[in-house]
Amino acid sequence: MDFSLTDEQQLLLDSLDELIARECTPDYVAKLDKEHRQPTEFRQAMHEAGFLGLGFPEEYGGTPVDATTLFLIAERVAKAGLNIGYGTELLSVLDILEFGSEEQKHQVLDELASGGCPFALAFTEPSAGSDSAAMKMTAVHQDGKVVFNGTKTLVTNAVGAKYLLTMAKNPDAEDPKRAFSMYLIPTDTPGISLSPIEKMLWRSATSSEIFYDDVTVDESCLVGKKGHGFVQLMKNFELERIMTATQSLGLAEAAFEDAATYAAQRHQFGQPIGNFQLIQEKLTDMSIKIENMKNIVYHSAWMVDNGKLDRIQASMCKRYCSMAAFEVADEAMQIYGGIGVTEGARVARLWRDIRGHRFGGGTDEIMVRIIGRQIVKDRS
Amino acid sequence: MTNIWIVAVGAAGIENLVTTAQQIGGDLTAAVVGERAIADAVAASGVDKVVWFGDPGSAPLEAFSGPVGDAVAAARPDVVLVPARNADRAIAGAVAAKLAAPLYTMITDVATAAGVTTVTHSTFGGIAEETVKVTGPVVLVAEGGAVISGGSAPIETVDAAADTTLTVVESRPAEHAAVDLSKAKRIVSIGRGLKSKDDLALVEALASALGAEISCSRPLAEGVDWFSHDRYVGVTGQHVAPDLYLAIGISGQLQHVVGARGAGTIVVVNSDKDAPYFSECDYGIVGDLYTIVPAITEALK
Amino acid sequence: MKIVVAYKWAANPQDASVAPNGAVDWSRAKYAVSEYDPVAIELARQLADATGAELIGVSVGEKQVASPMAKKAALSRGLDKLVLVADDALAGAGPVKFGLVLAEVIKGIGDVDLVLAGDSSIDVGQQTVPAVIAGALGWPTVSQVTKVSGTAGDLTVERNFQGGSQVLKATGPVVLSAAADAVTPRVPGMKDILAAGKKPAEEVPYSAPQLGSAVEVTGQSKLTLKARKGHLIDAADPAAAATTLVGALKATINL
Repeated sequence: MDFSLTDEQQLLLDSLDELIARECTPDYVAKLDKEHRQPTEFRQAMHEAGFLGLGFPEEYGGTPVDATTLFLIAERVAKAGLNIGYGTELLSVLDILEFGSEEQKHQVLDELASGGCPFALAFTEPSAGSDSAAMKMTAVHQDGKVVFNGTKTLVTNAVGAKYLLTMAKNPDAEDPKRAFSMYLIPTDTPGISLSPIEKMLWRSATSSEIFYDDVTVDESCLVGKKGHGFVQLMKNFELERIMTATQSLGLAEAAFEDAATYAAQRHQFGQPIGNFQLIQEKLTDMSIKIENMKNIVYHSAWMVDNGKLDRIQASMCKRYCSMAAFEVADEAMQIYGGIGVTEGARVARLWRDIRGHRFGGGTDEIMVRIIGRQIVKDRS
Repeated sequence: MTNIWIVAVGAAGIENLVTTAQQIGGDLTAAVVGERAIADAVAASGVDKVVWFGDPGSAPLEAFSGPVGDAVAAARPDVVLVPARNADRAIAGAVAAKLAAPLYTMITDVATAAGVTTVTHSTFGGIAEETVKVTGPVVLVAEGGAVISGGSAPIETVDAAADTTLTVVESRPAEHAAVDLSKAKRIVSIGRGLKSKDDLALVEALASALGAEISCSRPLAEGVDWFSHDRYVGVTGQHVAPDLYLAIGISGQLQHVVGARGAGTIVVVNSDKDAPYFSECDYGIVGDLYTIVPAITEALK
Repeated sequence: MKIVVAYKWAANPQDASVAPNGAVDWSRAKYAVSEYDPVAIELARQLADATGAELIGVSVGEKQVASPMAKKAALSRGLDKLVLVADDALAGAGPVKFGLVLAEVIKGIGDVDLVLAGDSSIDVGQQTVPAVIAGALGWPTVSQVTKVSGTAGDLTVERNFQGGSQVLKATGPVVLSAAADAVTPRVPGMKDILAAGKKPAEEVPYSAPQLGSAVEVTGQSKLTLKARKGHLIDAADPAAAATTLVGALKATINL
């Protein structure tokens, strides 16, 4: 099995390293966390260097590349310590590419091609997290318009997004399975108001509570088929799960590097703490977990590129990486001890950000529901 | 008799090269490009003869590389010594090309016997050392040194056909006087450990208390622009040999360190106890420069 | 108009290791287009875009100069094509030999109006090769260049000069070496990298230059550095550390 990178992938990563060294320094990332704001400057630099155009068709201004390349880039950015710095908006865009009208495709992809943030995913509601069927937001179709009412919450990076890809329910739907539809709504539509949510993790992304108060939009904002909201949404969940796993992997690598270097340099009892067996055991197991995460991420990537991906693989990838990365981060915190929670060390921030991936993008437990049920079902 | 040539372009500081030439032993001729005053100064430096390529007028001195290269090659020298300055290097290239002779820098030893010159020099930016025996001409580039006097040599003027395709259109002089760090006896050198240009004040206070010049590592003279190019010490920058070199917030990358290896005493102040410079210092203090530097300034009072 | 950029495929000596017998081991070092060469390529690319000139990259060295990775790395920086000499006979070559071989390649290309090079190579840093190329071609050379504009036979060159700057005019071919901070080079994107795989790269056979001297390496060693005291002063109390240092300096160098 050839696990090596192609020359093109290696050169792209070399370019990315150059860009990260210039535009995404540890100080910059620490500042974003402190100020609870998005990496606008780094995003702009990535756009100018052509990185944001990767993975979608040329006719919309993109450069097609394989999924493995996209995950390699995402891992590298996360390894620089920046959480959700790359990749998440691309995946959402793929939904539009597959189901959207020509006009919607252009709206979204033109925005992406010019370095802007096309949209945020507005799904979660105060009473609908893992239980997405419990969504209450309504979309009433009438006289060529759709009127939205309801509340979305924990919407990532809605601030600065041109559109909100909103999942809403037809209150008159007979079949509950066909009640939900996907809509592309301009964020500045009258009736929409954003309220910021302060978080203690994922602070390089904004989170908002969004109120839709008689928001009226032309019917053409429907994406794909009415009633097919969830079917459409699920299609790209797999890719999103692997992308989330890649974030966990990259951040874990950063935490491991910090902890290993610290262990080699921190002296206690007259020697580096890295000489002590318990520390060595931690480092060993952290290293193995990272190797495992890499294997499951890139095996999954290979499956995507060879048309073999199924949702079980994607779910396993997500669950394993979220949990293993957290274990790596937790041990990194332990190795650092008190110094790790001071301003100069980033390990505590990595620990916080990594923790979020155990419930963000699908909880560890929902992954069990998906995988465990299927395992038994396959044998019944 | 060993035939030694020195090339001097636009400046007469060749003390180190004259010393090296005397160490090698032989006839010493200087090829001079620049105004007459430079030729006169070089003629007083201890060389045996000066070959002057005439008044350059407004021509850029690089335009003389052709005639100088031809003249030096025709003289069939054993050793050609060139100062490590931009214009001199431009002409050294022509000399080396016409002679098809090897060129070395960072020289630690040189001797010529029976037409064979043995040179010991650092290689690969200073990570290793090599000794070579050169049968035939060799070009050596080194810090020129100060202007010296005490000698008196005849000046032969050559009617040089400088390259007229290169002309000066506009000259924008420096906003400040050039500084020659090669003469400084004490230097305080600052690196990336300094967080902001505003913090330079505390470095200046220390330099003032020490009676020292200030230099920097390359990143502070390029990209951030806190210092002019003539203030950075490094393999492609200034090579200094002060009695005291105080390196503050400089990690000790090879490219920087080679520029100050000639220092008598090296003191390193850095917050990273694994900074490479600590393995090449006489005195080292692992600490925050923002507290250590003012403390040293205070202790000097 | 034809513009050539002479670049080097080299590794950082910090990543090389030196054996006790002085042999330098580059096997674990990562080779790349030498650090300051992309600045020269960027200046050349901007001039080529402004004038419609052809931009040719030239490099000489051991076999790896022509490896697929090396070629793509160079072409993805913005060159239109490459002309290379890749021969292990060039192992251990010094800057003069490199300069003479590069000059021959440039002569072979013919009708070259301008040669650009980086400030210095990352592995040697002698700032010599551009001047040797110029000397061998019989052209003038200018270093520390920050801007270049115009067309063949009418180039305007700005360079750092004695703390200030100068503007020069070149009415004939010239070799320019770019100041390390002349311009921030663009980072190659995927489009550039993919396009690199399709651009032409020609290899020219190595022809040994006539040399004026015979060189024999008689010794190699790790650097014999001046012995340093290596005295680390405890800085738990900055004032005490400072006093200790100043005291030591007063005693040793008569501060």
